[in-house]
Amino acid sequence: MRKWLLLSGLAILPLLGAPMAQAQRVLLQADVAQDTLPTSSGPNRTYFSHLYLGYAAAVGRASGPGVDLQFGRSGELQVGWRNKLRLHQALALGLDLRYARLGYYLKQNDQKTVPTATRYEREHITLSQLQGEAFVRLSAGRRGNAIGRYVDLLGWGGWVMGSSHYYLEAATATAKKRQVTERGLRYVQRWPYGVGLRLGSGRYAVTGRYRLSSTFAGAAQSRYPELPRWTVGLELGWF
Amino acid sequence: MRLQPATYFVPQAQARRRRQHLPAADSTDFPVRPDYVRSVQNLADTVTYVSRWFNAVACQATPAQAVALQRLPGVRAVVARTPIDLAPASRDDAPEPGEKEITAADRQLARRQTASLGAAAFTKAGLAGQGLRIAIFDVGFLGVDRHPAFQQLLRDKRIVATHNFVREHTSVFASGRHGTEVLSCIAGVLPDGTPLGLAPQAEFLLARTERLYRELYVEEEAWLAAVEWADRNGADIINSSLGYTNRRYFPEQMNGRTSLVARAAELAARKGILVVNAAGNDGDDDWHTIGTPADGDSVLAVGGLDPDTYLHIDFSSYGPAAGRLKPNVVAFGTVLAAAPGGGYVRTQGTSFSSPLVAGFAACVWQQNRKLSVMELFGKLQESATLYPYYDYAHGYGTPQASFFVTKVGRSVVEAAPSFDFVRQDSMLAVIIRPAASFVPAHTLPLYADSVVAVSPDNAADNVPAVGREQPLRAPDATMLVEDSSPLALTPPRYLYWHLADQRGVLRSYEVRDVTQRAVLRIPLRLLQPGDQVRVHYRGYTQSYLRP
Repeated sequence: MRKWLLLSGLAILPLLGAPMAQAQRVLLQADVAQDTLPTSSGPNRTYFSHLYLGYAAAVGRASGPGVDLQFGRSGELQVGWRNKLRLHQALALGLDLRYARLGYYLKQNDQKTVPTATRYEREHITLSQLQGEAFVRLSAGRRGNAIGRYVDLLGWGGWVMGSSHYYLEAATATAKKRQVTERGLRYVQRWPYGVGLRLGSGRYAVTGRYRLSSTFAGAAQSRYPELPRWTVGLELGWF
Repeated sequence: MRLQPATYFVPQAQARRRRQHLPAADSTDFPVRPDYVRSVQNLADTVTYVSRWFNAVACQATPAQAVALQRLPGVRAVVARTPIDLAPASRDDAPEPGEKEITAADRQLARRQTASLGAAAFTKAGLAGQGLRIAIFDVGFLGVDRHPAFQQLLRDKRIVATHNFVREHTSVFASGRHGTEVLSCIAGVLPDGTPLGLAPQAEFLLARTERLYRELYVEEEAWLAAVEWADRNGADIINSSLGYTNRRYFPEQMNGRTSLVARAAELAARKGILVVNAAGNDGDDDWHTIGTPADGDSVLAVGGLDPDTYLHIDFSSYGPAAGRLKPNVVAFGTVLAAAPGGGYVRTQGTSFSSPLVAGFAACVWQQNRKLSVMELFGKLQESATLYPYYDYAHGYGTPQASFFVTKVGRSVVEAAPSFDFVRQDSMLAVIIRPAASFVPAHTLPLYADSVVAVSPDNAADNVPAVGREQPLRAPDATMLVEDSSPLALTPPRYLYWHLADQRGVLRSYEVRDVTQRAVLRIPLRLLQPGDQVRVHYRGYTQSYLRP
């Protein structure tokens, strides 16, 4: 049987700021002012914030020989919090804060020089980042309290809080397979930044980001070819 | 422009206007000037609909074409209507065939869904909607042409016209289970002859205006096209168990003026058609309030009542709409309905409360054809169980047939006073009179299994939007064992009270189970001058006005 609202009058919250009854069962109660409070938060209200997840694959080629990526596996996994401020039905500003894990999975071939020429069974460079991204959102079409369809112009920057170079050495006659992870890579850029574009509808979006900063820092910048600057992927809003 | 009403409207439509002293046609019935339509056709990609009522043309156009359209002579405004919102709507599962075997509990529910409106009084008076024409707008009427529940309806050829406004043809029986269930709540009959609704003898116009899997703005254009079609084809009543909410609007836009469908529904009322619309199934979600076109001032918005408790059912959307009373009335929100496969299902939603009241309205109108649409609207509210009390969960309560078929009507036979307001220092108390405090002994039903709870515990969770409800699982044997306490066949006697401001807009309302005579105490300091406390108990309503 349905369990409907059965509250002791002594226990209920006062309807109008003071106890209204004693020893009575309140079966249904409504404070109209409370129920119809105007709200400023919602998908197409002044403020909206939500969690999102995304994955963007690195696309394109390095600027020179020395590194070939495994496409599909090389990419950036993101989880973040999106904040949107609506200025107009068709215009909004936003700021994302996110954790992003960018991984470059390196093909093992004769041309490889990044970060060394040594060939392993498996090898990747991973950058764990905290990123901030500002965006201008242009929305299309009439809609109610829904995200609708939109285009975001993005500008992002981040801090590489952790970097690692992982490789798995093949077994030899004298040694078993060996896994090595080097952390705190000195040759990677600590402050990446870039621009991008996002096309979305509701909770789904396609993103493309272009990194303006170099992957490598200092002397490594001239020693290594630049890794692909583009990432293209999907985002899923959690709301 | 010229219009020959005698040729444009069917005789029933002409008669409706005559009965209500309306002109045979007005300027909103005139066709849109053909040269205007042609010039739009020349500029736009496709003209999808030409509306007489709004003197408007719906078309597909690029932004550049829209700018050019704006410059055309006779174009007052160009309003962009996004063709597609890509967010998928909830989907129907494979058609549920329904149960061929009807349990005692199902049969009891079927009887109660009409008995709660006093169906027996209509039956006794020979009122079953004869001569009334009811239009139903829905997602489709799958299997209606084969279902035994509609055998008599089909045999009598009382489905007088059908139109599929989504596909622009006349077939409406090929998809969409929802319309089948809705129609059955007006005209369906169980194999033993038990009617599922109140107007099994009415005539019907069936229109498909909704798509199954997407929410499109063009559905509102289809609704507008359907209402013009229904008007032309002589509809007296429109039942629309549909509603549009957050994909397209904000709650504060539920004011009867914003949406195309609300404006179309208002215009229908002006042409003498009673529009009965489901209040919505968003009472327990963020939207909370009624949808459109139920927000229309002249649209009879019907909320859902829990058959177990005779109280507002959780999912039924709440009023008000722009400060106005909504829903107007309530009916059972859990019903037994015909399923497309030839069987019967329990299902939940205000979608089914609405046709119960539409059928009720047909009987009232059959009894007194002289009533204008707004007189009928008022009488339906006046006949309801709580009238003149109201709140934003129950409206005026459940309409009662006895109000119309007894010679005197309830308005003449006032209920005996059942309580008094007593001012005690700083408090206002409500004390039940001794004569009204008698609680009769519980009467055993004939069969205990016939009055088990009809709403399973989890049944009201996530009831989809109106137009997309899903069948319920019937209560199983385990549930009967766990909770076999029989339920009352008559509504329990609750005490309803509300606090309204000078304009009659409610500040708060409550329903209480009465367990003692001193039932309510309100601190007077909380009442502002002009505030009114209105209390309803056992058919008696009294107000206390704060000076």
